[in-house]
Amino acid sequence: MRLKRAKAMMISVLLLFTFFFSNDFGLIDVEKTSIVTAIAIDYENQKYLVTAQVAVPEATDTNTENQKAQLSGKGNTVGEAIKDLGDLSGWFPKLAFCNLIILGNGLKDQNVVRILDYFAKTLRLQDSALVALADKNAKEILSLSTPLDNISSFAIQKILFKASGFDNDVARTDIKTFCAGYYSPNSSGFMPIIKVISADSGSGNEGEKADNSSSSSSQKNQTSQGSNSDSNNLFDARTTALFKDGKMVGELSPDLTVAFNAINTSIAGTSLAVKNVPYNDQECNYLLTVLNDKNSIKVKATENDVEVNISLSLFCKVSDVDATDSGQSLSANLPLSKPLIEKTKTMLVNNITQLINTSVQTGCDFLKIKEKLYRFNYSKYSLYKDNFLSKLKVKIDADVRGQR
Amino acid sequence: MKLSKNLDENFSLLKKALVSDDITFLDLEIAKSKGVLVFINDLVNKDTLGELVLRPANSFKGKLSEKTFFSAFLSPEKKKILNLGELISDLLLGNAILIVDGISFGLSFGLKHFEKRAITEPPTSTVIKGPREGFVESLSVNVSMMRRKLKSTNLIFENLTIGEYSATTVSVCYIKGIASKKLVEKVKEQIKKIKIDAVLDSSYISKFLNQHRFSLFKQIGNTEKPDILAGKILEGRVAIFVDGSPIALTVPYLLIEDFQSASDYYNSSYSATVSRYIRVISVALALFLPALFVSAELFHLQLIPLSFLMTIVNSIKGIPLSPSYEMFFTLLIFEILNEASVRMPKYVGMVVSIVGGLVLGETAVNAGIISAPTLMIVALSGICLYTVPELEQTFSILRIVFLLIAGTLGIYGLMIAVALLVVYLTSFESYGSPLCAPFSPLIIEDNKDGLYKGFIQEFEFRPKSLNNKNKRRIKKGEL
Amino acid sequence: MKQLKTRQVCFFLIAFLPITKFFSLPSIIASHANEDLWISALLCLVLDFITLIPIVIACRNANKNFFELLEDCLGRAGAKIVAVFYLIFFFVKTILPINEQKDYIEFTLYTLKPTVIYFLPLFLLAFYICFKKLRVFGRLSDIFWMVTLNGFIALIALSIPNADFSAVLPIGARGFSNVIKGSFRAFNWFNDCVFIMFFIGNFDYDKKAGLKIFLSFALGAVMVVVFMITFYAIFSSIAFRQRFALTEMSKYTTVISNLGRFDYIGIFMILFSNVFALCLPFYFSSKLLKYIFNINRLWVAPTITVLSQLFIVLFLYEFSVTFERVITNYFSFYFILLGNILPIILSIIFIRRTKYAIKKG
Repeated sequence: MRLKRAKAMMISVLLLFTFFFSNDFGLIDVEKTSIVTAIAIDYENQKYLVTAQVAVPEATDTNTENQKAQLSGKGNTVGEAIKDLGDLSGWFPKLAFCNLIILGNGLKDQNVVRILDYFAKTLRLQDSALVALADKNAKEILSLSTPLDNISSFAIQKILFKASGFDNDVARTDIKTFCAGYYSPNSSGFMPIIKVISADSGSGNEGEKADNSSSSSSQKNQTSQGSNSDSNNLFDARTTALFKDGKMVGELSPDLTVAFNAINTSIAGTSLAVKNVPYNDQECNYLLTVLNDKNSIKVKATENDVEVNISLSLFCKVSDVDATDSGQSLSANLPLSKPLIEKTKTMLVNNITQLINTSVQTGCDFLKIKEKLYRFNYSKYSLYKDNFLSKLKVKIDADVRGQR
Repeated sequence: MKLSKNLDENFSLLKKALVSDDITFLDLEIAKSKGVLVFINDLVNKDTLGELVLRPANSFKGKLSEKTFFSAFLSPEKKKILNLGELISDLLLGNAILIVDGISFGLSFGLKHFEKRAITEPPTSTVIKGPREGFVESLSVNVSMMRRKLKSTNLIFENLTIGEYSATTVSVCYIKGIASKKLVEKVKEQIKKIKIDAVLDSSYISKFLNQHRFSLFKQIGNTEKPDILAGKILEGRVAIFVDGSPIALTVPYLLIEDFQSASDYYNSSYSATVSRYIRVISVALALFLPALFVSAELFHLQLIPLSFLMTIVNSIKGIPLSPSYEMFFTLLIFEILNEASVRMPKYVGMVVSIVGGLVLGETAVNAGIISAPTLMIVALSGICLYTVPELEQTFSILRIVFLLIAGTLGIYGLMIAVALLVVYLTSFESYGSPLCAPFSPLIIEDNKDGLYKGFIQEFEFRPKSLNNKNKRRIKKGEL
Repeated sequence: MKQLKTRQVCFFLIAFLPITKFFSLPSIIASHANEDLWISALLCLVLDFITLIPIVIACRNANKNFFELLEDCLGRAGAKIVAVFYLIFFFVKTILPINEQKDYIEFTLYTLKPTVIYFLPLFLLAFYICFKKLRVFGRLSDIFWMVTLNGFIALIALSIPNADFSAVLPIGARGFSNVIKGSFRAFNWFNDCVFIMFFIGNFDYDKKAGLKIFLSFALGAVMVVVFMITFYAIFSSIAFRQRFALTEMSKYTTVISNLGRFDYIGIFMILFSNVFALCLPFYFSSKLLKYIFNINRLWVAPTITVLSQLFIVLFLYEFSVTFERVITNYFSFYFILLGNILPIILSIIFIRRTKYAIKKG
């Protein structure tokens, strides 16, 4: 028995060594793996064009920056395009690190969930990846160079995912949230629109400086080392695209996006510009920083209408004012003047009212009123499920406070 | 065979049995009776022999009878021997033997004298604070050190002689009233069963005491320090001393013992607890880090953070070996260096460290043969293992096994391997005590010196993990 | 001395029983009961709890183990017939969790689809455990209740920031039939009291052991319900598509972390405990096989048990969807009968028998 045990042990050790030294049980060669950091999807000639931005580690002793490469594949489905991308490059596209999906402008009129569903269903990609819509060809956006990072997708992610306590002026979403919204009773969703602006021209002026070499996006399966000569591109994602049944139905301006974030998540840390506030017989402009944001959207269905109570309470401080004689230090958390409070309240109420109007006009229930109707007023749900937007009775309660 | 009264007869038998040149047969006369003093040249203290045996023999006046013969000598360590076999074995122990014509027994004088190593701090368990003395190769010195620690009549040493040629004294030490009788009997029985030509070290005995011969794991505890041993036998363990070995064995053995350091008991409880956790974390790192790194590189890239992955990809570019081979061969080189540095003379060992650690490592990385992360992981793993030196041998084998499994089957294979090990260890018992106690089975009381190191006042009872008697350690009301 | 302590039985209920429900079960129930998935799970747990009560009472005075009591009450032939039923029960109960585990490992843990060799060591572990005494599960429980609990807490803590718990509202909106359908499909993963029934006579029944066991079961049940609620709170309308809930739930918090998917620490803890939970049916199948056919050779029963499941994994894997359909649809009655009704009946018989024996002295 003991001899048998010793023999069995010997054989096991030998087998282990044999397996180890001859192994290929599904292992991956890191060098043949492309670490995809972002994917851009466009629709061209009745086919999906998938462009993957691949991080190429090329750090040396003197340079710790990594380079990027871009690969493209085409197919009738997104999956097929990704397969095509791998087939022709010989790389295995590793999607686990892909944290950004950019949809091309050409896709906004079709049901984008048909595309995103692939990523939501496959386990190869994290459905926690951010989704954004490009204001132009998605591949072009990904090909641009920016002073923010060697890899453009990282730069875009910085814009989309700001640190907490920093400006929350982007209505970001990920694949899971977008798909969950689509399959929920409201079948609505939103995602930020990425616009390219020139670093020289500043905010608001869209740059048209897409890289020429990479703009030949129709060319299939091209691989280009992405060091763009023109690196003055910045990205703006403060506008929000609204989707109903997977198709884009409207937009929220940057101001409305902030208002949406204020009542939907929190805008603590975000700066609010309040213009033309009366101050000592003059009008001046203020920049407020929101220190705390308390919000709620309550939906109550009655026999006649759907009451929506939106309550927003912001605790703010003055960060800047263009009045010359204010004489007070901005480092202190000063009390807010009455006119400033009133002006801010009015601004917020107007923006929230506009949000509701946009929702009604577009049919996109981005405030999830229908979902709340289902969850909290189920007895009346069947009564309003098809016409709730026309039965809305909105009450907005905005409160702005400063140090007292 | 019994001794006869006839000296010639006894002498010729002795001469026949003892043919070695280092044995001295010294003829002498006691009150006109002929006698022979037999001793091994280098084992007997000749000055004492002259003072305590030869001088009294010479000056003996009166009639020599069996009664006067015994009382004629001053030696405090003397005994009657009736049997020839016993006479020879006593002689071989280093005693001097005296046989006289007309007397039917021989006298054995305990005049052993041989060179002993000085008591020093054992290199395997050095402490910053606490006693620094360590056991030596002499059993009598070791016994005296224990006696100095525990001045109790209940401290028992039971001697057994093992080894056909070595006739080594093996001493079973325990505290009567604390150690379980059953355990003591079992240990003695196991030792008596040993039929071997020679016992050269206590490790020989430990192999025979092992209840699972093929096990990779230690089943018998050991220590080189009297303070640790005293602590262990006070918990109800049985210790085994072997003449010629500075290492005392203890049974039963619990895995946690090796994570408990002597210094834990001399430092504050807080620092001891932290040190204990560091040891556990270090062992976990040493065992699993190479395996996890390789499996993540080969099978599960998603487990590695992106920025770290980029660094890895950067560093392994152009390396001719696959990550698993690279790790395996680097570990192999580490083990070679380790083995060489232990065996080599100290001054050469330094050179090996420098050449191996600095020159070989850095050159290999620069030459693109191995990657820097692999080298760093092997180095870290190697250092970590030495936080628990007692388990170094076992764990270095396990580390290789885990690496082979991880390189072949990935993290799930590794998980199953660890699960197998856990099942094996939890069902493993050492002399009736579960190896993984006090964690499995969970003994909350014992975790005061397991999961954390409690204050000494908390150790009210002896460990329940061990099968001991007289459970209370601190008298009620003394806390 | 008996093989287990009450403490170990309590830990067993926490360590190994909730975790088997953390893989594909939430999505399976959600596909029927949607936001009421937790009610479906709760119904199964309540049924198990009702089953547990007589079992624990039967444990109180039992001096004989399950097989001895069975023989005392039903005779040798009757006992063997019951054993055959339970052998089938355990055999079927093993199929889905093993396939589920295989899919889970294959799709979530490995970057490329590996060959089946990576999965075979699980059978080696099951084979090895089959040789051990029941004591080993007690000892493992002593360690793994902490592993399971820590893994669970880590996962839930990382999931909560992204959970919208109002997603489980309105309660009961999906209708009783859907909730029952959800429960019905889930029976393969429940019926855990059967394991405790096999512990009868094998553990020291402490003072207040019953209460301790019920509380431990309740803790395990709370873990299952909390997991189900959190799962739905994260995925809401797409919950039914999240086949591998365990890996999916916590990643939204870690997405921006520099440490990467550190939630895998919690996932691995659960996975580690689950490895042993998967071995449980193997163990009892092997013991039943040994009992039914009076097998004396030590290795025969474990070999047959392990090889039969290995055969399914290796050669019948393409039928795994069919297996799932058939087992969740048609075997549920069998599971209720063997997992709940029969244990209650047997426990009552055992209690009466023991009382009678005590009366007789």
